[in-house]
Order: sequence, then structure tokens, then C-alpha cells
Amino acid sequence: MTSIGTGYDLSASTYSPDGRIFQVEYANKAVENSGTAIGLRVKDGIVLAVEKLIHSKLLVPDSNRRIQTIDRSVGMASSGLLADGRQIANRARDESYSYRDVYKESPPLKELVQRMGLYVQAYTLYSSVRPFGCSTILGAIDKSGPVLYIIEPSGVAYGYHGAAVGKGRQLAKTELEKLKLSELTTREAVFEAARIIHLVHDDAKEKEFELEMSWIGAETNGLHLPVPKDLLEEADKKARDALEDYDE
Amino acid sequence: MFRNNYDNDSVTYSPTGRLFQVEYALEAIKQGSAAVGLVSKKDVVLVALKRNAEELGSYQKKLIKVDDHMGIALAGLAPDARVLSNFLRKQAMNSKMIFNRPLLTSKAVYSIADKAQENTQSYGSRPYGVGLLVAGYDESGAHLYEFQPSGSVLEYFGAAIGARSQAARTYLERNLETIRETESPEELIVHGLNALRDTLPQDVELTYRNTSVSIVGKETKYTIYDDEDVQQWLDKLDSVSNARNRDDDDDDDENADNEQQDNQQDQQQEGGDSNNNEDRMETDE
Amino acid sequence: MDHFPTSWGRQRNDAYDAYNTYPLHQRPNPGHDAFADSVQHTQQPIVTGTSVLAIVYKDGIMMAADTLASYGSLARFKSIQRLHSVGTSTVIGASGDMSDFQYLQSILDELIISEFTEGDKHELGPEEIHEYLSRVMYGRRSKMNPLWNSLLVGGKKDGKRFLAYVDLLGTTYTASTLATGYGAYIALPLLRTAVEGRENDLTEEEARKILEESMRVLYYRDARSLDKYQIAIVNDEGVTISEPQKLVTSWGFAEGIRGYGAQTQ
Repeated sequence: MTSIGTGYDLSASTYSPDGRIFQVEYANKAVENSGTAIGLRVKDGIVLAVEKLIHSKLLVPDSNRRIQTIDRSVGMASSGLLADGRQIANRARDESYSYRDVYKESPPLKELVQRMGLYVQAYTLYSSVRPFGCSTILGAIDKSGPVLYIIEPSGVAYGYHGAAVGKGRQLAKTELEKLKLSELTTREAVFEAARIIHLVHDDAKEKEFELEMSWIGAETNGLHLPVPKDLLEEADKKARDALEDYDE
Repeated sequence: MFRNNYDNDSVTYSPTGRLFQVEYALEAIKQGSAAVGLVSKKDVVLVALKRNAEELGSYQKKLIKVDDHMGIALAGLAPDARVLSNFLRKQAMNSKMIFNRPLLTSKAVYSIADKAQENTQSYGSRPYGVGLLVAGYDESGAHLYEFQPSGSVLEYFGAAIGARSQAARTYLERNLETIRETESPEELIVHGLNALRDTLPQDVELTYRNTSVSIVGKETKYTIYDDEDVQQWLDKLDSVSNARNRDDDDDDDENADNEQQDNQQDQQQEGGDSNNNEDRMETDE
Repeated sequence: MDHFPTSWGRQRNDAYDAYNTYPLHQRPNPGHDAFADSVQHTQQPIVTGTSVLAIVYKDGIMMAADTLASYGSLARFKSIQRLHSVGTSTVIGASGDMSDFQYLQSILDELIISEFTEGDKHELGPEEIHEYLSRVMYGRRSKMNPLWNSLLVGGKKDGKRFLAYVDLLGTTYTASTLATGYGAYIALPLLRTAVEGRENDLTEEEARKILEESMRVLYYRDARSLDKYQIAIVNDEGVTISEPQKLVTSWGFAEGIRGYGAQTQ
């Protein structure tokens, strides 16, 4: 990397001569190396899924959740520094709260995402802080229906039909593009999400992983909830089987 | 000597997206003596090895009570642990005051995790230099969490932190099934001490002076055993010195490797899996 | 140093700097005096709800309140819900100031959302809600600025029934029959006779009857009440708050009362 040693890459408040902010790019590196997270926006709901890498068999299964809840019907999956992800989630809850305090209803996701974008962006401005080392997928059902966004460490936030961040994002995006997302039901999307996470997981290189999923839809009464255990296991098993066929 | 430009503060990422200051803080944990925690269905046990700075000095406290249902074990900078435990106590009292319910272990540990994260994202403060094992029994059962200065929190059936803690983890992994099924609190403590014993350097034995034991569970409020009270537990062990030092032809390769490194230097022993560790702290697990 | 010339030519203030001896850069901001108009706190409720009744029965708890919010003696709002569910196992009923009650509803809703987003599967039960409310009420009264309500908190969680009272002073107590306001004088004796000692036997139907009868008595005697009321039930199925229902009353006897009917003398 040409940037190293030039001194232009040590602070978020420094541009390089060609106008780049290296610290933000490095923050992206923290995301690119960690477990994949995906989000699907389908006909009648949202599905979030993460590849939770398991480094020890002493860990409690199904604990240590990586998908968080921001509001009754807003879910968040992040990839990168986990502690940073919690910080962002806490802030998002505070933003939701302050919006409700004024308007007596939960914010549309677009509004929440805009506010979060500003928050994340502020950490790219000053030498006294570092940018967030995580990319965040936010999904919700609001007045406009199912919505899905990614917020990047730079503060950039775009809406998506299918979102993928982390190590396996390229392959995941390719898979997401093959789906007719706007025709899938939420339940079908659970199976697709499980399949994609299994597909992008690199068995050869990686440790074990646990599939974690959440959804928002008619079946959850519009709440953001973990995918029920039996459905999760069914999707997990189906994804494993499909992968074996795929390999053969 | 090679000088790393990216490790002077916690607001600078390295070109590969790492935060060296945070990783160095994790190293500070390994400078501390070992602490081990393990959970059965009903109980959580924390045991720890205490150090004294000099022969005539007292031993550094390793276990701190937070509330009747919660306690912590620490490895690393003890003053940092006191700051965090004071904070935890405040949270616990708040929960009693406001809701008349014991603080959930998960809520407790995430509250200090979020506090710790802030120190990894601003210039002019250092990350905490202490790792904690947080044990609690609440309405959702017995729980053991590991807290790290990076702000990461993970729930374990068994965990060990501090110098040569890999040996204790190996013991816990091998005995995971029996530990999980253990009905008696006594047996759980013995397993904990066995694991702790495996972390001992060559010329050290577990004594009632250097060992702390604590337990919390369905029927037990958080209780710490120190000094003479520890002897009853040590009496239940087949030996108080490290198995690998007693018996040189250990059949396990991994262990043998560890031993060699152990004998050379505490630090490097864990350097062996430090890449592994850093990866796990800093990314997603 | 204050660099705004507009704030330099400040009037003399006797409270501090009576002789204008402070150097310019040390002078406090000439903001307006926060205590000039003195501070006023709530001294009385404005729009009020009357009694709330609640009893324990076999399967849980039952609570009743009419739907009137009065403005003094004026029956100002006739379909205000005074029963509110908090989470999945608790219901609260309020008498007293309705805007203070609305404020309480909003902080409780926020509390439930923040518990939900924690995602630790723990839910606040009636006991915890009651403790929380009592902290809020007592905290406010200690600031000499109370939330002007008497509240009943009831619920059932993990098979355990709970019913308790908390008011604007932060006073709390618990019993198997509770009533606030006028109901504490008129309905409570009736409820006690009907319920005490039979908490584990009363069926939902019987409990409903007891409450309905007490609501009727209250409507006859309480000039701030209405014949439209709701019933909340918390049992193993969760919280149900009924649609408003009408009390059947007969006022024929009033014809014979002097000053009410069509008497001529």
C-alpha cells in the first residue's frame, strides 16, 4: 500500500494529497475481515442473517447474539468491530426515542438512517476520534412497507433490496442478485438467507460458525424477533443439504 | 528497532483495520495471574490465583462481590477492575431501587462493555487494562461472561483469563460434559481448581494463601472463600501442583507445546494463539 | 471574556456586584433572572378521572374504570380510556389528573420498548412496574411537583397474581381488593365483603359481576362518574381490556325525591 509511511494515514482529520481519507478506508478493512451479515427486503417483510464465527466450544450456543433490536419493528445486523456495533445500536435506540418523544410515533427507517448517517459521519471529521469499524444493516417495516439500509463507516447510507457486508459480501451479493426479492415471502426469504450464509462461509479457512437470523413480517405481528428455533433449524438443515448437493 | 506508527493511540487504525492500542490492552490481561470460571446448570464458580508483590506483602484481591447474586474475577490492572466493579455495584443497586429485582447478569456485563468501548474510540484515554469473568445467577439461570477491554462480551460454559490461561481452557474443554452435568457445587469447585492448577508455573503450588474460591448459584448467594477457608477445597484435590510438572511425559502434544513455552516465558506462551485471539476480539465473534 | 459588546452595558444587579467592581471579563451573563417570577408546581389536578376498582380472582386480576374525564364538575370528555396495558402481563388504572396519566403512559411505553430492544427475553412484570411507578411518583413528590394520580397496578406473571396501589405521595400498599378515589369509600366495603377469603374461588363471571355491581353503586352516588366503563382482565392469556360497556340503571325511584322529580311542593 502506497499510503503507509506517508503520514497521511494516521488521522481521520487528514486528507492525503490525492484527496482520500485513509483512516476511513482502514476502518472498512476492519469490516471486510469479519463475519458476513446479510439482509433481505422482500414482498412482505425483512430477514436479517449473520455468520457468527465460533472460536471455542466453550461458548454457550445461541447466546452472544449479533443481531440487535432498535425499535419494535427495527432490526440491526452489523459486521466489523462488535463493540462499535453496540455503540451504534445504542445511539439508534436513543434517536428512535427522541423522535418518539417529539412525534409520538416511531421514526420511519429513512429518518432514523439519516440521523445515524450523520452520527457515523461525525466520527470521520475529527482527529480526536476514530471512525466506526463496522458496517450496519438496518431493516424495518414502517409506514412505507419493508425497508432496508446499509450504513458504512464513512457515514454513507443507501437503501437496498438485498444487503451484504463483511467477508463474504461479494459472493453474497451475487447470490442476492439472482433472487426475485420483491416476489419472495418472508418465510421463503428465511430459507434463502440461510442458504446464502452457508454458501459464503469458507469451510476450509474458517472456524465453525453459528447461523443467527431474525425477521420482521406478518408472522411476527410487525415486531423484530429472532427466527423461531424450529424454523431456524429447518432452514439451517436445508441449507447444509443444499450445499452438499452444490459441492457434488 | 522497527517502529509501528499505528499503535500510539486508540483512534488510529492500522492499514489492515486493526487497533493496536486495544490489542495491547488485551495483553495487559495476560500480565495478570489466572482466573477461571465455569458453569453447571445451577451454579457458577470463579477461582483465581493470587499474587503478592513481595514475600511480606499481602496478596492482590482477585474476586470482587457485586451483589448477592453476582461477582467478578479479574486479571490485569486491578485498579481498573475496581472502577468497573464499583460501576457494576451501582447498576445492581439501581436495579433493586427502581424495579426491585436483581440485575440481570447480561445487562450488567453489557453495561461495562459499552463503557469500555468508549475508551477505544477517543483520543486521550486508554482502554481498560483488565479482563473480567462475570458470574451471576438470575431469573434466567446461571451465567458466566467474559468481559474484555475491547468492549466485547461473550457468554461461556467455562472460561479462563490471565497468565497461562490456555492450560485451564484446555482442561475445561476436555471436561466440558462432566462440568455441565455436575449437580454438586463441591465438584464444580474442584473442577475449577483443577483447571487453575494447570496454569501454575513450575515451582508454585496452590495454597490457601494464593488461591481464592467463590461460588454463586440457585441455593447459594455469592460467597468468596479466602485464606484458611480455602483449605477445605484444596483438601479435595488429588494434588496442588501442576500435573505437567509432576509428570513429564504428557501424552498431549498441544499441552506439551504449551509447557515448553510456559517454562520459557509466560507472555510467549499465549503469543502462540494470540493471532487467534486478536482476530476474535477485534472482529465479530 | 465576553466578546459581545451588547452584553457589556449591563444594569447593576444588587444580588451580585452591587458596586460594579467585577472586571468586565468576569461578569456573569446578564441573562434573565430565573427566579424573578418564582417557581410554580402542580397544586391541583385539572382534568380528572374518578375511581378505579380492582379485585383478585381465581385466574388473575380484574380492574374497572369508567370512561369519563371531568373538568371540575363538568363532564368534559366522555370516552377517555383510563386503563392501560403495560407489556404483556400488567395493567394500570388511573384516577386523578388525566394529563399526568398520559405522561405516565408515555414513559411506561418507552420503558417497555427499551426492555424489548434489550433482547434478553426478560419482561417487566406487574411487581416491577409497580416498583418503578412508586419510584417515579415518590421522586416527583419529593421535588414538590407530584404527578396527581392514584394508580392501581395489577397483573399476573409466572402464575403469580399481583395487585397494588400507588399514589401522588408515593404511598404504596397491596390487597386483594383495591379502589381509588370515591370508590375507596363507597365501593371498597362492597368489594371486601364479596371478595375477601374467596380470592381463589371466584370465577371470571362472578368477579365481573362484583365489579359491575360496584360500578353501578358508584354511578348512583358519585357525581363525577359515568355509566360507561371498561373492564381489564389479566390472566394466563395476558391482558384484555374490554370495549366500553353501558351500565343498566333505573332512576324511577328519583321521581319521589324532593327537588329531583316533578313534585309541586
